[in-house]
Amino acid sequence: MNRRRLIKVTGAGGAVIALGGLSGAPAWARQSGGTIKLWDTLNEGTRKDLIENKIGKSFSQSHDGAKIDHRGWTTEDLTGTLPRSVDSGQGPDISQVNNGEGLMGPMIRAGQLVSLVPYVEKYGWDTIQPHGLLARNMYTADGKQLGQGQLWGMSMEAEIVGFYYNRKIFKDNGIELPKTFADLEAAMQKLKDAGQTPLMFGNLDKWPAIHLFGDIQGTMTTRAYLDGLIYRTGKESFEDTSMIDAATKLKEWVDKGYLLDGYSGVSSDDAVSLFSAGQGAMLMQGSWSAGDIEQALGADGGFFLMPPKETGGKVLNVGGVGIPYSIIKGTKNPDLDAELIDYLCSDEVVGMIVDAGVLPARAVPKEKIKPDTVTGDLYTAFSAALEGDAIGHYLDWASPTMYDTLTAQLQALLAGKVDPKTFVANLQADYAKSFSS
Amino acid sequence: MRSPSAPEPSAIGSDLALGVRSEPVTRRRGLAGSAWEPYLYLLPALLIFTLFVAVPVVGTVGLSLAHWDGIAWSSASFAGWHNYTRALTEGEFWRSIWHNIQLVPFFVILPAILGLIPAAIVHQVRLKGTPVFRAGLFLPYIMPGVLIGVVWRWLLNPVFGLINSSLKKLGFQPPTWLGDFTWALPTVGLIGAWAAYGFCFVVFLAGMQKISQDLYEAARLDGANTWQEFFAVTLPGLRREMAVVLSVNLINALRAFDVIKATTDGGPGKQTEVVALYMINVFEARQVGYGAAIAVLLAVTTLALSLLVLRLFGERE
Repeated sequence: MNRRRLIKVTGAGGAVIALGGLSGAPAWARQSGGTIKLWDTLNEGTRKDLIENKIGKSFSQSHDGAKIDHRGWTTEDLTGTLPRSVDSGQGPDISQVNNGEGLMGPMIRAGQLVSLVPYVEKYGWDTIQPHGLLARNMYTADGKQLGQGQLWGMSMEAEIVGFYYNRKIFKDNGIELPKTFADLEAAMQKLKDAGQTPLMFGNLDKWPAIHLFGDIQGTMTTRAYLDGLIYRTGKESFEDTSMIDAATKLKEWVDKGYLLDGYSGVSSDDAVSLFSAGQGAMLMQGSWSAGDIEQALGADGGFFLMPPKETGGKVLNVGGVGIPYSIIKGTKNPDLDAELIDYLCSDEVVGMIVDAGVLPARAVPKEKIKPDTVTGDLYTAFSAALEGDAIGHYLDWASPTMYDTLTAQLQALLAGKVDPKTFVANLQADYAKSFSS
Repeated sequence: MRSPSAPEPSAIGSDLALGVRSEPVTRRRGLAGSAWEPYLYLLPALLIFTLFVAVPVVGTVGLSLAHWDGIAWSSASFAGWHNYTRALTEGEFWRSIWHNIQLVPFFVILPAILGLIPAAIVHQVRLKGTPVFRAGLFLPYIMPGVLIGVVWRWLLNPVFGLINSSLKKLGFQPPTWLGDFTWALPTVGLIGAWAAYGFCFVVFLAGMQKISQDLYEAARLDGANTWQEFFAVTLPGLRREMAVVLSVNLINALRAFDVIKATTDGGPGKQTEVVALYMINVFEARQVGYGAAIAVLLAVTTLALSLLVLRLFGERE
C-alpha cells in the first residue's frame, strides 16, 4: 500500500442534522433531479457495498427517494480522470478529491470546486470534527495556502499509524505496554536479547519507512512546526533538530537490529502476513490493517500508539483524514450534495463504517468498542488522539515530489548511504525547490 | 455502356426494368474504377491509426512544448523548448537513462544468448516432445510483467523466499537482492532476461528451421564438427532473426517499466529508477509538459537505436 492508497483509507465524521430541524421543506427537496452523481475510491468489497447499498439505501429512505449514482475508482484513476472530466463538463456532482497539492489545491485554483463555507455553519461541521482534522481540507479562497481559509471537503474516514503487538510474545518475555519512548526501546532491546524480532518491518515498497521515521519524529516535534511544514507556510525547514535527531534514532534502531533481518527486501504486505502468523513482537502499521490482524491473532493481538518521550508528553502520530468529499462546480443541486456529505459524516454512517472495520473521522462511539481487542485498542487510542489533537501528518505531503524524495532518502539512510544531516539536507533541497517551481 | 458481366435484358423486360438493372451496374463500375477505392479499403485502419496513434503522438509532442498541471486547459501555457532543455540538463533524467543503459546487457544480450542455446540444442538434437519444451520456454514471455514481478518478489524474499532459503542451506549469506543498493539493478535485469529469453528462443528456432539442410550437408562433407556447423552455418543464417531479437529486446530495455515497478518501484533509493518510471513520477507530480518531453525523448531515442540495430544486423540488399 503506497501513500496514495493510504490516503483513501482515511476519513472524518460528523453529527446528524435532522431534517426535521430545518425550517420548511429543505432546499434540495424543492428542486428537481434527486440523483447525485458520486465518484469516490470505495471501489470494491465491503467498502463498495457500504456506499452503494447500506449508505445509498438509507440516504434514499431518509431523503425522499434521492438516489446516489455511484462510481468507484482506484485512487490513481480518480485523481487522473476527475479534473479532466470536470474541465470538459462530464464530471460528477460530488467526488473524493485527494488532499492538498495532490488534487484539491490545483482544482480550487482552476475553479472546479464549490466552497463549503455556506454549509459549515448550517450543518455544524466545524463542531463535529476537530480543527486539526478539518484544516487538512482547507485552503484559502485562491487555492494557494493549505491548512487555512475555507473548507472545501469533508472526510468520512480517518487513519492513524501505530504499533500492533503480540500480547503472547510480550507476556512470555515479561514486557509491559511501553509508557515512554525509553520503555519502548528497552522492550525492543529485551526482545532482541531474547532472540525475538522486536519490530516486524518490510520496506521493499519504500513507503513504510515514512511511517516509522514520522512516528519517531512525532515524539520530538511540535504542532506549530509540523503544521507549518506540511501546510507550506514558508517559515519552516526540514533542516530542523527534530528531523536530524529522528533520522539518527532510526538508524540506531537499524544498527541495533530492532528491525526484521532482511527488511529491505520484504514487502509491507509480507511483513503484515508474517506478523499475523505470530512472528515478531510488534508491527508498525496503519489502522487499515486492524481488521485483518484481529482476525489472524485474535486475543493475542493488541494496538498502542507511539509512546511519548516522557510520561504525559505529547506525540504527533502519523495519520490524517481520508480523501475528502467535495462538491464539484457545475452541479445542479449543491444543497442536495451538501445534504449527502453531511449524511456521510453522521452518527448513523459512523456506526456503519465502524461495523465495516473502517476508522471514522471522529471519536468512535463507546458502545462499538470491545476492550482488549485489536480494534478496541485502536478505537480507544484514536479517540484519545483526536481529543488531544495528537494526529500528525504524512511528511510526504510537504511537496508534490516529496514522496519520491523521502522514500528514496529513507532507503539510503537505513542502508547507511547518507548520514542524518545529508538526509535532512536532501529533503530540504526538494522542499525549497517546490517553492521556486 | 454495359458491363460485360451484366445480364442481358430480359425480352419481356420493360424500359423501367432495364433502367433498374443497369443502374447498380454503373455504380459498381464507378466504385471499382475510382482512384479513391484503395483509400476506402484503408479507411478503417487509417481511422484507428489516426485516433489511437497519430493524435496521441501529436498531442504528446504538443504537450511537451507546454507548462501544464493536467487540471484545466486554461492553466496551460507555452513553454517552448524549456521542458527539453530541462530534461537534457537535469541529472535525474541522465541518471535514469544510465540505469536503462546498464540494463541493456541483461535485457538485450543475455536473453539472446539464453534463447540461442536451447534453440540450437532443440534444432540439433531433435528431442522428443519439442512442442512442449518450446511452449514451456516461451511461457515467461507471455506472462504479464506485474505477475512476473510478484512471483520474483516471493522467490527472492529474504525471510521465506525459495532462493535465499536454498542459498542459506548451502552455507551462503545471500543479500536482500531487490532491497540491496548493489544488487537491485542486476537482479531486476536478470528477471527481465528471464522474461525475454523465451521470445528469443522461438524466433531463433524458427530461423534455424528455415536454413537449408544442403548447407549443413556441405559443411559435413567438408569435415565440419557440430561447433563449426553452428558458427559457420547456423549463426550466419540467423542474421535476420538476430536483428529482430536485438531490436525488440532493445525497445524493451529502453521502455522497461512493469517488472521494475512491481519489484522495486525504482528503489532502493533511486538505484533502479529507469526513464519510464521517472516519467511516471513526473506525471504524478503534475508536471505534464515535462513528462511529455521525456516521453518524446524516450520514443525518439528508442526509434533511432532500433533503426541502428536493424541497419547493422538487417538483411543487406
